[in-house]
Amino acid sequence: MLIENMKMAFSAIRANKMRSALTMLGIIIGIGSVISIVSIGDTMRGLFADLYKDVGITQAYFSIGYWVDDVRQSDYFNLDEMERAREAFSDQIAYIDSSAFTSDEASYKRTKIKFEYQGIDYNYQDVQPVDMVYGRYLNEGDILGRKKNVVMDTDSARMLFGVENAVGKTFRTTLYGSTDDFTVVGVYRKNMNAFQALMMGGSNSDKGSAFIPYTLLTWPNDNFYQLHVYAKDDVNLDLFFSQFKSYVAKMHGRQPEDIYMYTAMQEMTSVDSMMGGLSMAVGGIAAISLLVGGIGIMNIMLVSVTERTREIGIRKALGARTRDVLIQFLTESAILSACGGIIGVIMGVGLVSLGGALLGMPVVIKPGVILVAVSFSAVVGIFFGLYPASKAAKSDPIDALRYE
Amino acid sequence: MIKSKKTMDARGGGPGRISKEEIINMVLRRKRPAHETEGSGPLLKLENLVKIYDTGAIKVLGLKKINLTVDRGEFVAIMGHSGSGKSTLMNILGCLDRPTLGHYYLDGVDVAEMTPDELSDIRNRKIGFVFQSFNLISRTSALKNVELPMTYARVPKAKRVERAHMLLERVGLGARQDHMPNELSGGQRQRVAIARALANQPPLILADEPTGNLDTASSIEIMELFRQLHKEGATVVVVTHEEDIAAFADRVIRFSDGQVQSDTLNTHHPGEGPVDGMEDILEEEAEDAD
Repeated sequence: MLIENMKMAFSAIRANKMRSALTMLGIIIGIGSVISIVSIGDTMRGLFADLYKDVGITQAYFSIGYWVDDVRQSDYFNLDEMERAREAFSDQIAYIDSSAFTSDEASYKRTKIKFEYQGIDYNYQDVQPVDMVYGRYLNEGDILGRKKNVVMDTDSARMLFGVENAVGKTFRTTLYGSTDDFTVVGVYRKNMNAFQALMMGGSNSDKGSAFIPYTLLTWPNDNFYQLHVYAKDDVNLDLFFSQFKSYVAKMHGRQPEDIYMYTAMQEMTSVDSMMGGLSMAVGGIAAISLLVGGIGIMNIMLVSVTERTREIGIRKALGARTRDVLIQFLTESAILSACGGIIGVIMGVGLVSLGGALLGMPVVIKPGVILVAVSFSAVVGIFFGLYPASKAAKSDPIDALRYE
Repeated sequence: MIKSKKTMDARGGGPGRISKEEIINMVLRRKRPAHETEGSGPLLKLENLVKIYDTGAIKVLGLKKINLTVDRGEFVAIMGHSGSGKSTLMNILGCLDRPTLGHYYLDGVDVAEMTPDELSDIRNRKIGFVFQSFNLISRTSALKNVELPMTYARVPKAKRVERAHMLLERVGLGARQDHMPNELSGGQRQRVAIARALANQPPLILADEPTGNLDTASSIEIMELFRQLHKEGATVVVVTHEEDIAAFADRVIRFSDGQVQSDTLNTHHPGEGPVDGMEDILEEEAEDAD
């Protein structure tokens, strides 16, 4: 009987091809846009996740809370404390530095460019790998010997020296008041896709940037504001960071709640949930078009029921029960809607894949989304088909047979 | 406490408030158990059957206390002009409508108080309809049309197709089973409808003006087919307003003003007597045209 009903439904849908196609269009657009929008959202979340992975998801910064009023000298860090922290958490810490940044004008011949310097330890590339194209990375000797060597990216090298391979070239800059010549020992290439470049502020920045030994920026007796820590990959981040926070608080005679902790993880989680919420919201708006599509189906089914009043009368006269007629029309609207849903999925997936191919980005299309979309479209068909179908099922065979 | 209990008892045992109409209904519609009479006795039995149309403002008496019996194997024509109540009777006989008062026993079962779905079931199993305007389902092959009553009777597919094919062969349309209704002539369509009416082997064939949309030659063919079915034992009731169509039946019941006017036997069938049936019909048609 179900197969019979489906055959009848298909023949009724085929009988009015144009009308069926237009009716389906509402569902096609609805499902297509829901699929595209949810997939775009998922793709964006994936890209953000990748971005944070590149930025370093295991990193965190610790400092005295900005809300603390009576900041004391002892709230700052020194290198001794940093070494003690490194030893105390030697199993969990992959990398630690004094989070030293500075910037100044770098000059080479006639070229003067604003440069940002990040003070790093030699093993920074373990936690933040770079693609060295010329020369070498900073080594232990550079750090311990406080050598005036730098590593920069190809863009900065081209801006300052006019060539990418700037290994061996020297430039002049001022750090904390003392002007010196610095030598480029290595050049690396930034590997960013279009999306990352966009999020990072672009590669067409007019500022250069370089890594220098942190020992040039942080002297043994210096106090510095915050610690920059990378946890090892297999460490439970939440647990370790809270332990480390307590450790820092105890070291400075503070309560853990006085310590400000900023982790990449919490940033990523908040961005991720924001993105998730956004794609849900836009998907919800797209789902309204499904509602409109459903009303279209109801409208057409009502027309169809009126047109086929006589057919319904004949069927009832020949022994069709209320349920038989109800199921026949419900099957028809469900099939109409599910077909629209399937076409919508194909179009949505096609559109997203095409967009991904054009932008050179891998797209995320979750099978669950497709499943939900198609079943939802069938549910829309059944829901909006219910009223017309029950109208058909309840019609009086005498009236229906008399209908011209 | 005691008082309230007494009140309850009184309410439970007493007749309560039942309207006069309901009492009449209860008396008139005392259902007889189906198994006592099904399959034996008269095929159709109408007892004090009344149909009132309630159009809101006025009530129209469609049928006035009809008493009628049709035995198994009869070939009956019900005649009357429009407004005589024959269509109303046809709807009730076909279980498409229910009487307002009285009983209608079809195959021994009182159908007066059945639900719409129960009536669907009765129509499916006990009545084969033939309509004036054929009422085939469009865009559906002759074979599928004949299958339809069997589909609703939940007959398995293979058996359905086999029987539908056999029935189409029987009405001489075996070669056209895959044709759509709009590819068939009027007479052929009506033969498909007759094959469909026979699908579930119903005890009653009920035809409503079966030749109304057909030319004379096709009309004769169709009526001959009914006679043939009658000879093979089927009970056929034809509702018509044409004398020459009624002439094919063995018994003619004339209706007027919602009542049976006459109930006569007819022994002279077209093509059987000394007068040539064809000429007879053509003559009368010419008269009708005047």
